Amino acid sequence: MTPDIHPFDIVTYAVPFFILAMVAEMAWARRRAPEAYEPRDTWTSLALGLGSTVAGALTAGVVYAVAMALYQHRVATVPFAWWAWIACFALDDFNYYWAHRTGHRIRWFWASHVNHHSSQHYNLSTALRQTWTGFVALSFVFRIWPALLGFHPAMLVTVGGVNLVYQFWIHTEAIGRMPRWFEAVFNTPSHHRVHHATNPVYLDRNYAGALIVWDRLFRTFQPELDGERIRYGIVRQLGTFGVMWSVFHEWAGMLKDFAVAPLRYKLAYLVREPGWSHDGSRDTSDRIRERWRERQDGAARAGPRD
Amino acid sequence: MKAVQALLAQPGVLLVLKTLASLVGVLLVVQLARWMNLGGDVRIRDEDHAGALADEAMCGFVPVAVGLDKARIGALVRDAQGRVMLIRRHGSHFAARLLENHAGVRLDQHFLTVATGDSRFGTVTLNLGPEAQAWAASLRRLEG
Repeated sequence: MTPDIHPFDIVTYAVPFFILAMVAEMAWARRRAPEAYEPRDTWTSLALGLGSTVAGALTAGVVYAVAMALYQHRVATVPFAWWAWIACFALDDFNYYWAHRTGHRIRWFWASHVNHHSSQHYNLSTALRQTWTGFVALSFVFRIWPALLGFHPAMLVTVGGVNLVYQFWIHTEAIGRMPRWFEAVFNTPSHHRVHHATNPVYLDRNYAGALIVWDRLFRTFQPELDGERIRYGIVRQLGTFGVMWSVFHEWAGMLKDFAVAPLRYKLAYLVREPGWSHDGSRDTSDRIRERWRERQDGAARAGPRD
Repeated sequence: MKAVQALLAQPGVLLVLKTLASLVGVLLVVQLARWMNLGGDVRIRDEDHAGALADEAMCGFVPVAVGLDKARIGALVRDAQGRVMLIRRHGSHFAARLLENHAGVRLDQHFLTVATGDSRFGTVTLNLGPEAQAWAASLRRLEG
């Protein structure tokens, strides 16, 4: 028998906090460096956020139904006990890490996730710059499988919402570093600034949602370096504030590549890492980092010049 | 009251109302950012700055020649391999494109208009002064 339980929609309750925090950050930006805050970029980010909530609302029923179908075939039944909530949150965060990592390493998922990274700014509005096409990309599959273990979908949706709300506050330059113990365990503004950076040393690092321990465990962790000024965005900056192009540009690029590629390479344009090309004419993040390291090593060998 | 409840019970009505309310909220936040005079007028400071922007856009791109727009809102940079990159202002940052051919390049005295083939990136007109002709010749060497 399936208990009739509904998820707690924490995201809706968090919206007033989101707005107040954004306004406070704008006041901070005005005092610190008003020229660095771009209202047109904020518009694009918030429009993407709004579209994402609509897309999410339209497809949530299907995702929840699939999760419930999995739950019908569960191997056990996890109770709604305090320890189960903690276990569910940790497992969901682990799943988020892998969903996020594939979102950067497989172009099909990147086409959906790139929206979140296409701003050259890093502020709280960037947190709300979310995808419209997550359902099409099927990235929800990473998050609902614990229903088979016996976690109720309502529990999964609730902890997923908590995770999303947690990640809001880390999208800011207004906070430097948290206490060391906190930086060691949790994802923080410092860790996540690295994730949004295009500096070669930072590319494809820090995929964590709430717990940075996954990056430490799976060797994708990179601390923020004091001497390295962060540049945000994507390797090939969009150069437009257009909302629709921001949403669909990578899908368009990927499908174009798929259409014109020789038959034996077509699939690779969907499943290889962003920047991969069959003739090697483009740069992946690994290649960019490799080239950067070669330059660093060369500079180090040359030594200081008087 | 019952009529309102009946309306809200219709499929999709609540979603539409929530979306409209959110849109109003979004517009208010963006307008507030404008009222606070956020945003700026960034310019390329000098040739070194243009070089740094080129390296940011493509790691390892080392300019051997830089053509700065007189208003410093854009630049052309060329490296030792003959690759030419167009840099232009984008909000309070900059964006760049490596030019692949000379289609869309037009010279009008000191003004050089460059189209990148990326319609969203747009066409950029640079005032390069007397250097414009040399840059136009340099771009013509790119594959047609």
